[in-house]
Amino acid sequence: MIKLDRVTKSYKTSTVALRDCSVDIAKGEFVFLVGPSGSGKSTFLRLVTKEEPPDNGDIWVAGRNIGQMHSWKVPLLRRNIGCVFQDFRLLPNKTVAENVAFALQVIGRPKHVISSTVPQILDLVGLTQKAQNFPGELSGGEQQRVAVARAFVNRPLILLADEPTGNLDPTTTEGIMRLLDRINRTGTTVVMATHDVGIVDTMRRRVIELDHGVVIRDQARGVYGAAG
Amino acid sequence: MALSFDYTVRETFSNLRRNPLMTMAAVLTVAVSLSLVGGALLLKQGVTRATLQWRGGVELSIFMKPDASEAQNTAVQTELSNLPQVRKVTYVNQDESFAEFQQVFSNDPATTEGITAADLPPSYRVVPKKAEFVEPIGSRFEETPGVYSVAYAKDTIDTLLKVTRIIQLAIYTMAGVLLISATLLILNTIQLAIFARRREIGVMKLVGATNWFIRIPFMLEGLVQGVVGGGVAALLVTLGRTFLQRNLESSSLQLIRQMLVSGREVAGTAIFLVVVGAAVGAIGSAVAVRRFLDV
Repeated sequence: MIKLDRVTKSYKTSTVALRDCSVDIAKGEFVFLVGPSGSGKSTFLRLVTKEEPPDNGDIWVAGRNIGQMHSWKVPLLRRNIGCVFQDFRLLPNKTVAENVAFALQVIGRPKHVISSTVPQILDLVGLTQKAQNFPGELSGGEQQRVAVARAFVNRPLILLADEPTGNLDPTTTEGIMRLLDRINRTGTTVVMATHDVGIVDTMRRRVIELDHGVVIRDQARGVYGAAG
Repeated sequence: MALSFDYTVRETFSNLRRNPLMTMAAVLTVAVSLSLVGGALLLKQGVTRATLQWRGGVELSIFMKPDASEAQNTAVQTELSNLPQVRKVTYVNQDESFAEFQQVFSNDPATTEGITAADLPPSYRVVPKKAEFVEPIGSRFEETPGVYSVAYAKDTIDTLLKVTRIIQLAIYTMAGVLLISATLLILNTIQLAIFARRREIGVMKLVGATNWFIRIPFMLEGLVQGVVGGGVAALLVTLGRTFLQRNLESSSLQLIRQMLVSGREVAGTAIFLVVVGAAVGAIGSAVAVRRFLDV
């Protein structure tokens, strides 16, 4: 589903974000990207959505080499990828339902599809009661659930999450993780960058550890800390 | 791409309503800048109009010898009336010349004394279509048999041509500079408005909206703002012209009266302002949104 082949990416400030990185993630996997800040986790995710081009190496997403993809096809690539961020990135002047519907509107889904899909997905994330509230009226955990709903409403093949629980307390975090797990069980490939030792150790999924842009560990059913 | 008309129109107008201050700022910027451009353009048309009248009045005189034969006279007359550059030819016979002569020197009896109509040459007064034609027409007839001399105010014409050219150039430059600064101001305003909504654009990119899908509502928004701003400018210019017309029509200064432009010219300028407003608004938005699409 996602394959990086000897990918190197450096920024103008001459820091190397990823160095000769090769990773292969199969369909339906749940993968944790771990490592300290600046180890290249976010760069990894941004390369997959083609927000940035790599300096070297090839990247395949859903069977396509995205390095050779025309820029006008990038929106089509992104329709296959849902994204969730630490800072939620909701539109404050739209209601919960409108925020989720927005993701369908901008890819041109017809009205009747939108009006039937949005309640379903809000039910899935448990926010049916809050559909007409604005993001500012919700707790952090609720906002993140809206963001997950928006990322998943289009039923993407891949869900990328960049520190989705970074701003949340442990109880709320658990709720979000259960939600991501549920989404993963529908066959969606989930890649989640995180600092949270507790989550990684409890979930026991594949762990890819980055340090200074180098993959130093790739372990099935791993934990956060060094192999053990 | 499935760009629904319904979505686009709704998005455009809800955005216009949602940012009333930015909308006002953009509309006012367009209105003020384009009013200045329109004013400059009308001033230019006024100057052209006035100079056309001065220049249309420029003429040259071809004086015949008093003893020129009938055939020679006819030859000159025919040639003049066949020249495409000539607008009007008037023959002034000896009696008329004499009357004019007496009038010009009426307070100088010493000069008029002893001169009769027979002493004065008959002449052709030629009005060319353009001031530039005065010299070529005149030089054709200098050597023609029966012609005594050709008189034209060469220096005066040259100065007149030069002055009008400079005035026109100055006004063109002014209108050009105003148009450029208006465009930049409008661009800046639109960019501010779009900057305020970069989050929204980011989310749209994130969920896979195409660039045109994002761009078109912004362009329509700019178009509406540009048309309204251009319309206000057109209204201001029209009202300004009516006001000036009312106050200056009775002006004793011929120059000012000649500069008053016609209603058609004002209408043309007004349409131009609305079109420029629309173009600047739509293209400006497209340019301004470009920066934020680059992800």
